[in-house]
Amino acid sequence: MKADTSQFPALDKTKFEQRGTEFKLGIPVTNAVAVGNSIAVGFGDGTVRIFTSGESSEPIKAHKGIVLCMSKDGDNILTGGDDGRFLNISLDGKINEIGNFGTRWVDHVTANNGSLVCSSGNIVYLWSPNHKEPKLFEHNSTIGGIAFDTKGRRLAVSRYGGVTLWKKDYSNKWNSSELNWKGSHNKVIFSPDGKYLVTSMQENQLHFWRLKDKIDSAMSGYGTKIKSFAFVDDSKYLATSGAKEAVCWPFDGDGPVGRKPICLPYVGNKLVTFVEPFPNENAILTGLSDGSVFLSEIEKASNTIIIRSFTEFEVSAIAVTKDCSHLLIGDMGGNILWTSIWDKEKK
Amino acid sequence: MEETNKQVPVTVLTGFLGAGKTTLLNRILTEQHGKKYAVIVNEFGEQGIDNDLVVDADEEVFEMNNGCICCTVRGDLIRILSGLMKRADKLDAIIVETTGLADPAPVAQTFFVDQDVADRTKLDAIVTVADAVHLSTQLTDHHEAEEQIAFADVVLLNKIDLVDESGLEVVKERIKKINPFAKVINTTKCGVSLNEILNLDAFSLKRVLDVEPDFLTSDHDHEHDDDVTSLSFVSDTPLDMEKFQDWFSKLLQTKGQDILRTKGILDFTGESDRYVFQGVHMLMDASPMGKWPEGKERSSRLVFIGRNLESMNLKEGFENCKSA
Repeated sequence: MKADTSQFPALDKTKFEQRGTEFKLGIPVTNAVAVGNSIAVGFGDGTVRIFTSGESSEPIKAHKGIVLCMSKDGDNILTGGDDGRFLNISLDGKINEIGNFGTRWVDHVTANNGSLVCSSGNIVYLWSPNHKEPKLFEHNSTIGGIAFDTKGRRLAVSRYGGVTLWKKDYSNKWNSSELNWKGSHNKVIFSPDGKYLVTSMQENQLHFWRLKDKIDSAMSGYGTKIKSFAFVDDSKYLATSGAKEAVCWPFDGDGPVGRKPICLPYVGNKLVTFVEPFPNENAILTGLSDGSVFLSEIEKASNTIIIRSFTEFEVSAIAVTKDCSHLLIGDMGGNILWTSIWDKEKK
Repeated sequence: MEETNKQVPVTVLTGFLGAGKTTLLNRILTEQHGKKYAVIVNEFGEQGIDNDLVVDADEEVFEMNNGCICCTVRGDLIRILSGLMKRADKLDAIIVETTGLADPAPVAQTFFVDQDVADRTKLDAIVTVADAVHLSTQLTDHHEAEEQIAFADVVLLNKIDLVDESGLEVVKERIKKINPFAKVINTTKCGVSLNEILNLDAFSLKRVLDVEPDFLTSDHDHEHDDDVTSLSFVSDTPLDMEKFQDWFSKLLQTKGQDILRTKGILDFTGESDRYVFQGVHMLMDASPMGKWPEGKERSSRLVFIGRNLESMNLKEGFENCKSA
């Protein structure tokens, strides 16, 4: 990636906007997930659209009110909504209802190797491949987030007071252990190398556990709640929203304790609302509260490119296609940009 | 909690089981034609709710991990309100129905503590439905009943057709003693004009300016220490800002658990603006609110609602804040 600051901070359209396709749908974007070279987008009116090669599918009427959460399941997507439904949707729009919880929201969904998981209230429901009835995992409070590790043998469930870690033994029995830390934990993720577990909290901070020795620590100093965070470049950095820059904590070596994070890109007084790792690179896409999006190399902050200029609406979703050729940006004002990442001449 | 047009008002309905919360809720929903409401209920609700958008929640009270022991919030409200704000269609209002035994403090505190909630929604008012027949007993037996009256902006004194006049006076006296600022509306079957309970903006600092402490002579002789009562103070002598801040912050730090609500308009020496604040336990919303009106006497007014207020030397503390 080369630095291209020629259009920054000009307010003209960036070259990505010029060569991309913009959609002004006026419906808040709640989620975006890449499935192969298509990107599925969930909206605040309960619909899902599939974007492929710069074109949008007809809206798929998935949920009654809001698509609260979305995840990939092989070639399909999973969604959970405020109508209490847990759905599996194919890219051509076929909807298969997996579960229905009535007036209770489906807050989180995830999948691994055909196992489908959602949470509603304080219960996690797991459908194993070819099982009609789900297995139930009950917790002491409403669930803040769920995540599988890469192999699908561990399922982390964040909650009030910490994380419950479910492990599948070799007889396929799930056993739980508790990782406790005072306060309410929201989103949870594993590091791709499986060594760490990270949660965001109701307070403006993150918490992590090193799983081999259960050493844990807080990452704080944020001005707002951290709603978006992800591991970059395998597990080298943890990029986080919630400040005026993307705060990237080093997770290589012995982890972040006693080390300073790298903060980038500083482009003024706007808050980072979304971070998305750029696949296979030590780089991140950073979405801001004014709708602008930047691509930066973490260890070379001067290599920052502006992808989208401002729209006045906070960036709520960014996804990159599997072949890394295109990306999609969505915001709370319902503006979507689909654009190619590389100049045609170069590729 | 700055006001903007984008904030969706949230009305909180509290009251003991059987007082008539659901009757009131259904009345609001059927009478307000053409408005879009979201209703947040708990699963132990009394009867059916007649609305498109009903969200089931568990009343989950979370302690904030910030060293403040009485700083509790409603986790379910944070989750649901944040979710509702992603809707494509804008809601006219959100109504939260609490269970009979709910403490209103965490609900109110949620709007102080969570930035997302405070940015996009505002607490409009706490409306407490009380059963005129049973309230006196409930106040004696349950702290929660007292708290629901103490936090109320409006008390709907329901089922008045089932008590005689003297009985009604006794109940109203009891309410006044706990919370002299709540507007008490007598009803049968929750028959009330909706503009008396909706869009009140009762938690805005502007509304604090309406506070008129006119109950200074009330008699506090025969109470148990842990009864909820109120005390108010007035001073025509300007206050010293530093002394006041010192006293008041220490007071909230040490007695914040017993102090349920505070409101005040303050006249500081050397300041041309009125200072206004309102608080729930240790949490406070405060701001200068423009110049004192021309031709009106400047004076400081301070109001407390809480338990064990008599033990806090409030009068002495307030007197000491006066500029020498």
